[in-house]
Amino acid sequence: MDALLSGQLLVAALVTGALYALTALGLNLVYGTMRLLNVAHGDLVMIGAYVAFWAFTLLALSPLLGLAAAAALAALFGLALYHGLFRRLLAGGKAAQRLEANSLLLFFGVSVIVQNLMALQFTATPRGYQYLDTVYRWGNAAITGNRVAAFAVAVILCGGVLAFLRFHVTGLAIKALIQRRDAAAVVGVNVERVQQLALCLGFASAAVAGALVSMTEQISPFMGFPFTIAAFVVIILGGLGNVTGGIAAGLLLGVLETYGVALTSSAYRSILVYGVFVLILLLRPQGLLGGRRIVR
Amino acid sequence: MIRKLSIALAAAALFAAPAAAQNIKIGFSLAKTGLFAQAVPSQLNAYELWREQVNARGGLDVAGKKRMVEFVQYDDQSNPGNAVKIYEKLITDDKVELLLAPWGTPHHFAVAPVLEKYKFPMVGNTAASVQLREIKPGNIWFVTSAIPDKMAAELVAMAKANGYKTAGIVANVLPLAKEIKASLVPALQKAGIAVKVSEEYPPDIKDMTAILTKVKAAAPEALFVLSYPGDSVLYAKQAKEIGIAAPFQFVAVGPTMDFFGKVVGPSANGLVTMGHWSPAKADWKRAKPFYDAYVKKFNEKPDYLDTVVSYMSLEILEQAVAKAGTDKQKLRQAIASMTFDTINGPVKFQGVQNAITPTAFLQIQGSELQLVWPKAIATSPFKAKTGW
Repeated sequence: MDALLSGQLLVAALVTGALYALTALGLNLVYGTMRLLNVAHGDLVMIGAYVAFWAFTLLALSPLLGLAAAAALAALFGLALYHGLFRRLLAGGKAAQRLEANSLLLFFGVSVIVQNLMALQFTATPRGYQYLDTVYRWGNAAITGNRVAAFAVAVILCGGVLAFLRFHVTGLAIKALIQRRDAAAVVGVNVERVQQLALCLGFASAAVAGALVSMTEQISPFMGFPFTIAAFVVIILGGLGNVTGGIAAGLLLGVLETYGVALTSSAYRSILVYGVFVLILLLRPQGLLGGRRIVR
Repeated sequence: MIRKLSIALAAAALFAAPAAAQNIKIGFSLAKTGLFAQAVPSQLNAYELWREQVNARGGLDVAGKKRMVEFVQYDDQSNPGNAVKIYEKLITDDKVELLLAPWGTPHHFAVAPVLEKYKFPMVGNTAASVQLREIKPGNIWFVTSAIPDKMAAELVAMAKANGYKTAGIVANVLPLAKEIKASLVPALQKAGIAVKVSEEYPPDIKDMTAILTKVKAAAPEALFVLSYPGDSVLYAKQAKEIGIAAPFQFVAVGPTMDFFGKVVGPSANGLVTMGHWSPAKADWKRAKPFYDAYVKKFNEKPDYLDTVVSYMSLEILEQAVAKAGTDKQKLRQAIASMTFDTINGPVKFQGVQNAITPTAFLQIQGSELQLVWPKAIATSPFKAKTGW
């Protein structure tokens, strides 16, 4: 019981939750605006991690600066994919369900290609580096500097994106596209431009999450899949396309995992996470904060 | 003119053909993609280094005749079922003359019946399980001495020799960790070492805070972390954060790999891990030259576990082929009966197992991995871990 009340678990829950929230944010933007099911999302996390790793290793560039390069590269990749693969698909006026199925297949292909290209280029050998690994202690809680940095950046970015969506005219246009795609076009939203922006923003935020993850764990070309799964669990928990709900669900998942394991055992982690996931699907299929209008 | 040129080219090709036929085709499949892909470069690097060295010496000595080594390799996508099909293809379709091992225990188990079916001898390397002993001897051998039940017994002996009376176990649920734990718990009880905390975790664990908080509260003197590379890094980082203070901390798989030191850094100093090789062992004459050649070629240290056992399997094959050639019956007899000189000292098989190399442990001391147990082969004495 003492352990449950200790600050250590709270620290772990918040850091894990913040990274889940940031990872899922991009997936939610891409799905929300375009109904594209990006199963290569974890591979963008991987790309971001590699960019930060090489920037640190070759250029001695702090990962906190390297994440800007990771974001830019991922955004360019998103732009290339948009024009190369998805633009015609989105303009085709196909039913949302068909679009989802097609995008899932396309992103699956992208995932396989990206993973294997990275493995060919950099080998599958795990890699990593040390950055900000001094331990800071407050009372009975301890945390390394890199986890503080990861938490802070994730919170700032999630908050920044929420503020952008609420207060900026382009952010409002993204929200409009998420809520009523056809109506958004009718009231003058430049759908094409907003879609591109949302895809770039979604890809960039995943890459930033990868850069942050690279500070705390080893990386490899095949590290992405667990992040894809976690991101899907989070956005379904929060409500597909509901950005605020996704961020709340990310934090909730972090708390659930950390305290659930402390109360039971690590062996029950998956049962706990997927148990709650199935429960939410049964009881609130629109997600914790999702309104019915968002679910197509 | 063109006709003459064609005839000349055809003639050249005819003359060139026998030279090409001199190459010896050696086949294998590795998990180059999929679940185990991260582990495979350690093994593939050993294969590539060996081929380069052998060819630089003029080729593989096949019963007195030198032949250049040519690899026929496939990706089994981490699927043992694919490995079975590939090894059949290598034998029947590609008609390779020798086989090298795939990666990992499940793949070794999967291809063993194929070797038996075609009576094709192969020296295994990256497999470690008590179940190896149940495989029919004759066409497969295992060079590792890191067999789980032997490791458990030696770990307890090492803990007892250093006077530790309490222990903790944190174990992944994957097979190797489970096998070590199954032997470790009764061995600790028999030695009078009390197990104060025992936790298991799934392979996809992302945070160990809850487990390590329990371990810290129990404060065992000897902590056995039965982990794989990814979770070994997670353990080391979070144990440092939480302040696990056990003087004897065993971390099963990972610390022998080059990336571990780069990710964890000086904090890893004092961790004990599985491994029975060190380039610092002066009487293993081949050890240091192998280490130097590896570092020169790949610009990183070899994995003291997988790279080493893989290279040992190649040395054994090379020496057996030099004596027996590629005739399967003669080769089988040579592998089963000869004593081989390897980077890990002499190796001789009894049944499927390496009967000479002792089960041993390494400790990270400064920037080096030192053999610390058993004392008979130690390159440095064990030093209690004093912090992170």
